[in-house]
Amino acid sequence: MEETTITRIEELKDIANEVRFRIVDMVYRAQSGHCGGSLSAADIVTALYFEIMKINPAAPDWPDRDRFILSKGHACPVQYAALSLKGYFPLDELGTFRKLHSRLQGHPVAGKLPGIEVTTGSLGIGFCEGIGLGLDAKLRKQDWRVWIVLGDGELNEGAVWEAAQAGSKFHLDNVTAIVDRNRLQNDGFCDDIMPIEPVVEKFRVFGWETYEIDGHNMSEIVRTLHVARQVKGKPTCIVARTVKGKGVSFMENVRDWHGKAPNSEQYEQAVRELRGGRT
Amino acid sequence: MNLPRAFNPTRKAFSEQMASRGAESDFAVFESDIGYSTYSYLFGDRFPERYFNFGIAEVSTMAAAAGMASNGRTVFVAGYGVFLTMRALEVVRSFVCYPHLNVKILSSHGGVTAAIDGVTHQATEDIAFMTTLPEMKVLCPCDTASAKAAFDLALKTPGPVFVRLMRDPLFELYPEGTSFALGGSKVVREGSDITIAAYGDMVFEAIDAADRLAARGIRAEVLDLYSIKPVDWAGITASISKTHTLLVVENHQARNGLGTYIGDALLQTGASVRYDHVGLEDRFAESGDYRGVIETYGLCATNIEAHAKKLLAANQGR
Repeated sequence: MEETTITRIEELKDIANEVRFRIVDMVYRAQSGHCGGSLSAADIVTALYFEIMKINPAAPDWPDRDRFILSKGHACPVQYAALSLKGYFPLDELGTFRKLHSRLQGHPVAGKLPGIEVTTGSLGIGFCEGIGLGLDAKLRKQDWRVWIVLGDGELNEGAVWEAAQAGSKFHLDNVTAIVDRNRLQNDGFCDDIMPIEPVVEKFRVFGWETYEIDGHNMSEIVRTLHVARQVKGKPTCIVARTVKGKGVSFMENVRDWHGKAPNSEQYEQAVRELRGGRT
Repeated sequence: MNLPRAFNPTRKAFSEQMASRGAESDFAVFESDIGYSTYSYLFGDRFPERYFNFGIAEVSTMAAAAGMASNGRTVFVAGYGVFLTMRALEVVRSFVCYPHLNVKILSSHGGVTAAIDGVTHQATEDIAFMTTLPEMKVLCPCDTASAKAAFDLALKTPGPVFVRLMRDPLFELYPEGTSFALGGSKVVREGSDITIAAYGDMVFEAIDAADRLAARGIRAEVLDLYSIKPVDWAGITASISKTHTLLVVENHQARNGLGTYIGDALLQTGASVRYDHVGLEDRFAESGDYRGVIETYGLCATNIEAHAKKLLAANQGR
């Protein structure tokens, strides 16, 4: 099994922090977007882009690349930040997020920005698209993988469970779904809006190999993603316990920060917390 | 009407062509547990490795098709029109049409041709939904030759294509090997007094109506608008420049069907044309035998004939 060194884990933590800064900066400059669910997924997405996935930013259409799907498409600031820091497009372009003529659409759109594999934004659909991609890899007898990040509120969608059945039926061991279990959705706590527990058990009985991890512990994330890659005969689901708004104190666990942009005062405080005030 | 009876419905002819083309092209077929009704199983029996049955789950079936197509493979999704065009409508719009993917929709039981199954299985708004979507192309063949051609057109046309097919076998109109084109139409009866434009099963009702009108000395021209989007404007214009009278007939809600689109376009061009439309009059049909349902709801030769006569009477009054 592949291993990641302790030094590398420390580097990944730094990159995740930089991703978080870019998220807040992007949403601040757009004065629109989703901070909370982007920040909660920052460690997972960083681990995938900077350590786990077989990708080449210089050849975004390389046929053997791993495919990343952000099924919780509203959290695209985290994906745009990671893609940009990885070198898919210039960092300056993050400033165009949600603006007219930008490649950084309000939700990810395939065919505009390098690194976006499929269009997402309607919850539940990216997960289904990932099943179709996993099937195509099998059909082509190619060994690239599909990594899908879902929200926990997203699990309310029936299509998720349709696709969970299909992933199991077709033995898609090249598909890994990571649930960003931040416990909050648009209108409030998941437990109040539509209880979804036991999430791990649900995926298990649907025939998926399951794991439950701390979604902010970089070494645990990386270790589990390496393990998921080795599973044969069935798809894998990693339920990552996270904190919505992670890294910005006043955004953490606050419903209101699902889809709100910071004002200048809040932005400055966030930058102080994430970067010691350096922009 | 002097046409040979069909042995097979268009859904079967289309799927037979799909199975016969499977060896020369690497497309996949996705099914939602009605493969023995859409006849997609004919492909599945020959190419099981490229045939995926997702169970009774149209939303994820369509979205998974989008996922596979995003990697460059053409996917045909087979199902009933009501489910594919309504339950999966958002997926077709945002994840098939918007990214312009090669997902082709084999949509069976179009119009009230699913008569016996009742309203829940009758796709009578599908043309409105599908023609409204940017990037989508829409075809509706009426017989075996045109259904096989519709498969080939769907396969070779880049991007999403919706093909409306029928449950029941009706008649054979075109010789095997007749050529059809995206944006084309066929003049199936020539005439100079009135143009009756139809698609799918209504082509046969239009021909029947033309025969009835001929017995009264009225020469009706019948157009088969098998390419619903894009529609053959040149063909329509050529015909109405002779007749100055157009009656559009469709097994669909009259509101927001092809007729609405054509009528709107005619208004924009300022063409001096008497126009009327036969379709479902803002209501649902019901269960029953096919003949009984189309006659009860006015989707039949006698009603077309009545509308034609009324239109022509209005024409003479000018």
